[in-house]
Amino acid sequence: MNKLTLLFTGIVLTFGSAWVGFVAYPVANLANMEPLPDEETGGLIPPTLSGLAVAGQKVYAASGCVECHSQQVRPDPLTTDIAKQLGKRQTVPRDEIREHTPFLGEYRIGQDLSNYGARETDVAAVHRHLYSPQLVSPWSNMPSYSYLYQYRKIVGQPSSHALQGLTGSFAPKAGYEVVPTQQAEALVGYLLSLNQNYPLPESPEPTAK
Amino acid sequence: MSNDQSSQTDTLSSAERSAIDSSVASPVILFFGTSILWLLLGSIFELTSSIKLVWPFFLDGLSFLTYGRTSIVSVNALAYGWATPAAIGIGLWLTTRLCRVPLAHHKLLIASGIIWNLGVFVGVSGLLIGDSTSIPLLNFPAYSTHILLLSFALIATWAIVTFFQRQSGPLFVSQWFLVAGFFSFPWLFATASQLLVWNPIQASAQSPIAAWYAAGFFNLWLVPMGLAAAFYLIPKSIGRSVNSHHLSLLAFWSILLFGAWSGTSRLIGGPLPAWMVSVGAAAGVMMIIPALAVALNLHFTLEGHYAPVAWSPSLRFIVSGVLFLLTTWLLSAINSIPSVNSVTNFSDLTRGLNLLGYYGFFSMIAFGSIYYILPRLTGKEWPSSCLISWHFWLALSGILLGASALILGGLIQGFALQDVGITFRSSMDFISPFRFCAALASILLVAANLGFALLFAGLLWSTRRSGATPTLIAVREENSQEPVAV
Repeated sequence: MNKLTLLFTGIVLTFGSAWVGFVAYPVANLANMEPLPDEETGGLIPPTLSGLAVAGQKVYAASGCVECHSQQVRPDPLTTDIAKQLGKRQTVPRDEIREHTPFLGEYRIGQDLSNYGARETDVAAVHRHLYSPQLVSPWSNMPSYSYLYQYRKIVGQPSSHALQGLTGSFAPKAGYEVVPTQQAEALVGYLLSLNQNYPLPESPEPTAK
Repeated sequence: MSNDQSSQTDTLSSAERSAIDSSVASPVILFFGTSILWLLLGSIFELTSSIKLVWPFFLDGLSFLTYGRTSIVSVNALAYGWATPAAIGIGLWLTTRLCRVPLAHHKLLIASGIIWNLGVFVGVSGLLIGDSTSIPLLNFPAYSTHILLLSFALIATWAIVTFFQRQSGPLFVSQWFLVAGFFSFPWLFATASQLLVWNPIQASAQSPIAAWYAAGFFNLWLVPMGLAAAFYLIPKSIGRSVNSHHLSLLAFWSILLFGAWSGTSRLIGGPLPAWMVSVGAAAGVMMIIPALAVALNLHFTLEGHYAPVAWSPSLRFIVSGVLFLLTTWLLSAINSIPSVNSVTNFSDLTRGLNLLGYYGFFSMIAFGSIYYILPRLTGKEWPSSCLISWHFWLALSGILLGASALILGGLIQGFALQDVGITFRSSMDFISPFRFCAALASILLVAANLGFALLFAGLLWSTRRSGATPTLIAVREENSQEPVAV
């Protein structure tokens, strides 16, 4: 192997083979997916995201949530994700078409969030969790997202958006309140939109054994 | 021993060698110096993230220091601030030496070095203010990756031109690796940036491309550059030639082929066609071939000449680096088997393997190479053999403690995450003592990096000319016949 041209050709062929398989193939076959029509409601599957949730995706990315939280349900019987009720069926490419970037995640330092919106529907509870994770689960190592909240003195009437139920060391001082910023509202909107409980033909729910 | 010329390191006279070395000095020192600053910064952020995993109240409630940002700053500062410029510096020096031409256009290289560091600085600032793309290893926002690609295009063009101007003769094995690395990285980085960051394609198609990039960054960029250094410096230091031409050939082509295909194995069960995961798993298991080919080839080269590893700093670091590469690839091969991967996926075991590969293999090889290269560029010797010894043992113990804690803990955590009867909270309780050990290991690594930075600064500022004896970290045996170029 003493000729540079031979070396180059070999590198292009080996490297190019993987490039065809893992880059060209997905670009040609996976990058043009359409939502399916929902015959029951006349809407789309997966449902279109609200504007609030789209804004929340950006906050999710900016905060680095994907560093600890995965968003993928793996199939039976390879894994126990479905038995552990992370979701009712496997996550497939069509589930991601609403996202800008797929937040698949590499770690489960925190819980999987693919169906967070199916487990949790209470906006106030999610705010409490983001502001003071250890209030909700004392054993949690989740960081506080208090920087998405405004800690301010109550002037006149208390805000109707202010967080309720903050107790112990997390409670604001008398005469103060904790109010979510727009970013916090958007993040909660996005988290509650995470719900893959719609039927997709390519990912049937496994039948009970 | 093979008589093939591709196994001989070089046949330069010492005068030619020092002319080439001094021509390359300023850009290489620029790349090394800035990379060491990023190494320090990156490892401090890594330590911060490790502490936060154990004790979430550490520096809590600040947007730019939340765990999600410190951890990506550490990964990206280490990958693009430390590893890549260090690889470029080693690559430039090796390219001029092996092509036997003094460096031309060194202002172009200095400019690209400055542009590169500007790009990393812009990227890290972007991550701190929350502009991450959330793609692993490609977190830098689009406005900084344009700068990085511009800089690298200049460097790669220079490298390819130098290869075509080289003095004729057979290509040495390190040169294969250099061409592969300088050629693959821009291809990887441009493809992934264009499809995932600049003009992102639909999210449903992005995950295999991201996995392909992450595997390629290690197997097709850092590994070729690190092995180019190992295949040159190990034989050079002990005055022998590379043992087997055929094993070199096997290692080179199997790294390129299987390394490029191995990325998708970790997306097991994920939202992508099943054949991609199967191919990735098969390629991941096949990485046993280059692992054994590299390790055996270098072992046969060193056989009977292991003694200098005790006293030569560069050999000691490089040989440890090769052993860590062997470990990384063997463990990754086991981890690629689907029944194993479905358990360990999402656990801290992945962090352990990354530590072994990026720090154990690449950083150790880079340290060893810099210990060899820098005295030859500056004509000065390393100021303290004691500090070099501390650097080595701190780095080695940090890697061993951190990787073993994360791999063992990751296994336990993985089984807990998989077991239907065990709650998520218990999986966290199981892993937390191991994360505590990993945080201790991060302290050791920060100390090691600090020691290295002090040595580097000490060498640049010192006035001690060489011609005196080289700095050794152990007493050289008097009756030894080893022709060591330390």
